[in-house]
Amino acid sequence: MSDGLSEDGSDINQEDEDVMTPAELIAKLEEAWLNEKFSPELLENKSEVVECVMEQLTHMEANLQRVKKGDAKASIHRMEIDRIRYVLSSYLRSRLQKIEKYFPHVLEKEKSREMGDASLLSPEEFAFAKEYYANTETYLKAMALKRMPPNLQTIDMLKAVPEPCLDSFVFLRVKERQENILVEPETDDQREYVVDLEEGSQHLMRYRTIAPLVSTGAVQLI
Amino acid sequence: MDPSEVEFIAEKEVVQIIPNFSLDKIYLIGGDLGPFNPGLPVSVPVWLALNLKQRQKCSIVPPEWMDIDKLEEMRELERKEDAFTPVPSPYYMELTKLLLNHSSDNIPKADEIRTLVKDIWDTRIAKLRLSADSFINQQEAHAKLDNLTLMEINTIRAFLLDSLNCMYKLRSNLQPGSTKGQFSDY
Repeated sequence: MSDGLSEDGSDINQEDEDVMTPAELIAKLEEAWLNEKFSPELLENKSEVVECVMEQLTHMEANLQRVKKGDAKASIHRMEIDRIRYVLSSYLRSRLQKIEKYFPHVLEKEKSREMGDASLLSPEEFAFAKEYYANTETYLKAMALKRMPPNLQTIDMLKAVPEPCLDSFVFLRVKERQENILVEPETDDQREYVVDLEEGSQHLMRYRTIAPLVSTGAVQLI
Repeated sequence: MDPSEVEFIAEKEVVQIIPNFSLDKIYLIGGDLGPFNPGLPVSVPVWLALNLKQRQKCSIVPPEWMDIDKLEEMRELERKEDAFTPVPSPYYMELTKLLLNHSSDNIPKADEIRTLVKDIWDTRIAKLRLSADSFINQQEAHAKLDNLTLMEINTIRAFLLDSLNCMYKLRSNLQPGSTKGQFSDY
């Protein structure tokens, strides 16, 4: 990292300031994108990855500004940028959708978080969630609640908005072998049993059972 | 997930092309490509191959498995076995569609390949429906889905997952004294 600053990026390839290569960074973003798309609840934010990708994109775009029009390489670079930008915005959009859907629970979880724990929301998302909460509340009050009898004029958002259903089924692929995953029975006359998840195998099971494995990156939702 | 998004992911797969132009190495964010020399095969992601093909700047070398004999063998095996057989590429359906639609002049016997892949797909989807049916009938809580591709999972995802959730809600409401029974919807 020390000598990376000596020249001002004359070569596009000179951005390996992190331990991660740009290609690995993009792979991380795609992982986060698919996990976020398929998990029923909001996952931990990956603002580090998002920021690094943004940096890569702006850097590349700045370089492209200097290239003259009609350059064959530039058009290929632009196509790649567009693809990455699509993944990035689709990822952020699916997070916003979940925040809008579950905002009281998201904020509640953020509030009860221990100091030092990784934050669920990025600062921008947190601001968005708070604002969304306030706006929804004001709207409900203005449109309906103030016309209700006095004893019915309060609303508990936590009860009014359904929680994410962690018992949903998800499809997943195993990246690191896991042993003794407990599968809870569907009905009372079945018994619980354990399965081993082999590396590379694919499964269909409840999100609740494997939720911790998603956040450690041991399994990938598909 | 939208099928076009699965296709988007499949476009990251690498194919060989034979360019008819020359260009130095390109340093993309996702890795280096090239150099390109006329007549010399080079590996590129499918999205780039299709773009160059559309601009008539290259011909695409079909992947090794896109071959009548190999696909016929696969179709027979797929019909014989009860379980899903391993596929030659995790994106076999998407790649077949993309390559045949945009570059059929570079692929020998394109129409027969299309039919064969469609046959394999149909057999597999029929199996998938059957196993989804028995999964629900036996009220299983876990299923192993090896050898299924993303596109195949995606075709039953919305329907299967929603039905399972619905059944779960109905069942947990039936069980007396269950705390999980308090599902509220909009």
